[in-house]
Amino acid sequence: MSVDIKTWVDIFLTICMAPYIASFLLYLVRVVKGPTIPDRVIAVDALGFDLAAFLVILSILFESPILLVCAMVLSLWVFALDIYVAKYLESKELGE
Amino acid sequence: MSMEIVNWVLVVIGQILIAIGVVCDLIAAILMIRFPNFYVRLHALTIGSIGGSIVPIIGAIFVALGAPYLGTYRWFLAGAAAVTALFIFMLGAIGSHAIARAAHRSKTSTLVPCFADHLAEDRGERGCRQ
Repeated sequence: MSVDIKTWVDIFLTICMAPYIASFLLYLVRVVKGPTIPDRVIAVDALGFDLAAFLVILSILFESPILLVCAMVLSLWVFALDIYVAKYLESKELGE
Repeated sequence: MSMEIVNWVLVVIGQILIAIGVVCDLIAAILMIRFPNFYVRLHALTIGSIGGSIVPIIGAIFVALGAPYLGTYRWFLAGAAAVTALFIFMLGAIGSHAIARAAHRSKTSTLVPCFADHLAEDRGERGCRQ
């Protein structure tokens, strides 16, 4: 084994960051120009889940596992956004 | 030496899963732009959340388990990543179903091009036929 595990993993994850950032930009296009509210919401949904996966990759790359807490909370907030918008669209009120 | 071989096998399995996830993510982002209406874009959302998020997170679990340079915290990293994958697996499906039901009931998003809308016809509304 001539190559080290750390350099191998770091090179691979650095290459993987480029398609992730490209897909974030494509999702942002749909968020900005989506014609209706549900379009924007599912684009933000996909953006949030992919951002969670990106944070997991970044926590390996930066060797700081505390970023995982952000990813976990981010996936929960995306779910909360879904439920709030669905409830608002169905009954035109947010519940009290 | 044998432990090092196990680490390499774990890292390569994780990297294959991360590569699959990156490809799914890019495909989902392109489809989110290209698809014509909301109900078809739900398919792109599913590719992006299952293939583009859960698969690379599971791959990151394998990479973290096979990377001893991360120290003791790699067990915390693997466990928290597993919990995140479980959250996305359950809550993504529930949220997308809820938002699709609400969009169809409140008629917020228009269905163009429209070929068949059996749910609206069953409910006594007009559906696609003019």
